[in-house]
Amino acid sequence: MLRFIVRRLLWMIVLLLVISFLTFIIFYLLPAADPATLRAGRQPTPELIATLKQTLGLDKPWYVQYWKYLERLIFHFDFGFSYESNVSVRSQIFDRLPATATLAVGGAIVWLIIGVPVGIISAIKRGKAPDRVAMGGALLAISAPVYWLGLVSLYLFSKGIGKIGLFKGQGTYPNTGNVFTDPWGVISSLILPCIVLAASFAAVYARFTRGSLLETMGEDYIRTARAKGLAEHRVVFKHGLRAAITPVVTILGLDLGALLGGAILTETVFNIPGIGRLAFEAIQKSDLPTIQGTVLLAAFFIILLNLVVDVIYGFLDPRVRY
Amino acid sequence: MNRTVRWTVVGGTAIAMSLAIAACGGSSKKTAGTSGGSSTTGKQGGNLTYLAASDIDYLDPGQTYYTFGFMVGIATNRTLYGFLPNDSVKTVPDLADGAPVISADNKSVTVKIRPGIKYSPPVNRVVKTADIKYAFERAFSKNVPNGYAGVYFSSIVGAPAAGTGPIKDISGITTPDDNTIVFTLKDPQAALVAQALVLPISTPVPKEYAAPFDAKIPSTYDEQVAFIGPYMVQNDPKTGKTTGWARGKSLKMVRNPNWDKATDFRPAYLDQITIQEGNSDLATASRRTLSGTATLCCDAGSPPSEVLGEALKTQKDQVQFVPSGGTRYIAMNTKVAPFDNLNIRKAIVAAMDRNALRLTRGGEILGDIANGWIPPGIPGFEEAGGLTQNTDLDFLKSPTGDPAVARKYMDAAAAEGLPVKNGKWTGADKILTIATNADPGKKTAESFQGQIEALGFKLNFRIVPQDTLYTKFCGVPAQKVAICPNVGWFKDFPDPQAMLDATFNGKNIIPQGNVNWPQLNVPAINDAMAKASLLPAGPDRNKAWAAVNHLIAEQAPAIPWIWDKTAIINSKDVNAVSDSYTTTHSLPFTSLK
Repeated sequence: MLRFIVRRLLWMIVLLLVISFLTFIIFYLLPAADPATLRAGRQPTPELIATLKQTLGLDKPWYVQYWKYLERLIFHFDFGFSYESNVSVRSQIFDRLPATATLAVGGAIVWLIIGVPVGIISAIKRGKAPDRVAMGGALLAISAPVYWLGLVSLYLFSKGIGKIGLFKGQGTYPNTGNVFTDPWGVISSLILPCIVLAASFAAVYARFTRGSLLETMGEDYIRTARAKGLAEHRVVFKHGLRAAITPVVTILGLDLGALLGGAILTETVFNIPGIGRLAFEAIQKSDLPTIQGTVLLAAFFIILLNLVVDVIYGFLDPRVRY
Repeated sequence: MNRTVRWTVVGGTAIAMSLAIAACGGSSKKTAGTSGGSSTTGKQGGNLTYLAASDIDYLDPGQTYYTFGFMVGIATNRTLYGFLPNDSVKTVPDLADGAPVISADNKSVTVKIRPGIKYSPPVNRVVKTADIKYAFERAFSKNVPNGYAGVYFSSIVGAPAAGTGPIKDISGITTPDDNTIVFTLKDPQAALVAQALVLPISTPVPKEYAAPFDAKIPSTYDEQVAFIGPYMVQNDPKTGKTTGWARGKSLKMVRNPNWDKATDFRPAYLDQITIQEGNSDLATASRRTLSGTATLCCDAGSPPSEVLGEALKTQKDQVQFVPSGGTRYIAMNTKVAPFDNLNIRKAIVAAMDRNALRLTRGGEILGDIANGWIPPGIPGFEEAGGLTQNTDLDFLKSPTGDPAVARKYMDAAAAEGLPVKNGKWTGADKILTIATNADPGKKTAESFQGQIEALGFKLNFRIVPQDTLYTKFCGVPAQKVAICPNVGWFKDFPDPQAMLDATFNGKNIIPQGNVNWPQLNVPAINDAMAKASLLPAGPDRNKAWAAVNHLIAEQAPAIPWIWDKTAIINSKDVNAVSDSYTTTHSLPFTSLK
């Protein structure tokens, strides 16, 4: 197991290097705004632009720029400074991460609470009214884009502009503090975003759980359990669900990893100061250091959560050994 | 420019500093603000929230160069001269204690400052003119990137090339005493320099406090600014670190304890102003403002037309329109075929339905159709013919386009041997067009694309972010971009030269950061500009620049299509005052009802 984890961690480093390189190259090759000219103001002289390029480190060939970036990143854990604001990207990321993490975890709790039970009920009541209603609802939820659902929910349920002001709306996430220092402020502002974020995920998880459980319930060992005279709920939950949940854990790891890298749409619609909004704004402003930082963070979480999922597999499924 | 960078040219001669208004500066009984041009009295106290899409650029007065940054700067700091909210033409002394004294040879400017103005904590000392000298010196260095120091103040004796070296003494700025500063110039440009003293570069910076921050490249003074305005960004009173500014999240302004109302013309009614950032969905932010309390909106332009239309029906008193003092136009590169042909350019201008272009931005309520480049509110506008300026030119006469006139000029081009048949362009080459990728500019560009293709032109239509459009394509002549459908130029100073010189003078074409997008270089126009720039402010100057405006229009280098207005909105309980200089809200004049 340890060797497996070490090997995967090494691969993680390689993957992050590849991703950072690709992001850099994409930015370098595609037309993006010239940060030096942007900073130079009106009618700049070539000398001024050259000085600014030197200050920003843009006067070197791309491979030198990239190497210096890696040097800073590896030896100093320094993501550089935003072209836009001169602020350290690392500090921006750490400042924004708690909001994204709280949103992602909150969303995951909501979609698991809704999605998995709905999937189980659908599987147990296969073909009957509850199944049809649940799967119809799931289809609707999957089809609704997050930004649309977010706006609709704001105009329906948020205090201030909503028809029925039930929840805090846009821009209510506390600008200082986090879930530990201001739990009610954070949680109350994230109720609506978490529900919106979770809607489509819950639908996917319901369908996934249903499919997986239906498949498992057709296995011989389930028939054996029933033949032994076990109560149906024990058959479903102890024998069926345990096996059926394994693929759900897999996608949970992937989804959570992706969301920790920033829920761009939800954060933008609800004005939550998280990694997603940071990335969105950086892309709009061609702010490469910030883009690089947020992309690397997203990649890191996806790879890390993948590893965690693989490790958990070993505990959930006795057949898996590393 | 889309992000309303305050890029402009300061007039060659000063607009007279208004002594009448200067007198207001010393009054301690000023409780009158202005809203939509009418006088209102504000209630003292209260907290206000400002919903913004993005952050300000910089707090550092040496670095800020965007409208939104200026709005905060006007509330938190003081320049030598400024403007009253409803008058962006006449300057008023702010930190200065009267009008600038310009020497007879036009080579020096002397300014006295008000005594007793103090910095916010932790500096807590009285402002001296040496602080203004230092502010200029740092803004010329590479430590403090400044977007205009080299443009407006390069004539100061001893001024180094802006942005290229360390902070150096500038011998041409002297301070005979703590309340007097003298700018000595190499050239007779005193009027220009005096007028440019409204810019944030003239905000004092205490050297002993700022120097350690300025030693870094770039300077980190931006995070520790010392304020002298009625408000300050909340900070640690011991270190000066701005604790009230969470980049990209919010900016909290509180009262500056060291501000003395008796020294300022700003009433500063509010106790606290918080800018909440990240409200990039203007529809939601606008609705929140209109239905909320103690809120203003928005930094990123007018609310969407559906929200605005609704508000104008039911909440009209919560909407104000501020003329942007600028022109949006579609630039045709006069150096690239087929736009190097005057008849082709005239034909395209004649064919264009400019009302259709305006509809992409919200229609009539958000601006008048432009016929030239001196917009309303700028001296010379009336002399140029007002809203109907240049309509004596047949190709600019119809705002909805005139196919017959377009045909006339296409036929004239055919007679010159260009590939035109039956009034349509038959050339095979695709014309490189660089448009913005964001609405409403993208919609404007697409409307233009449809109209020009109806004339037979084939476009290589590419969309990029607005900043990329300026810095990599339209602002770089070597790229040979034929059409830039999303350019615009907005005032920094209310002066016609500011509107026309940088944008149409052939002498201003530069390899990078070029803003003469059509690359118009007509010697007669350049000469007319040179002569007009020497005239003092007044009717003669206005007439001269109006004539330049007409000469430019005759060359059809671009399609002017809107002199836009910005709609700014407020909650019902806010006495919102608009600022015609920054075209946003005036925070120190705004109050709660």
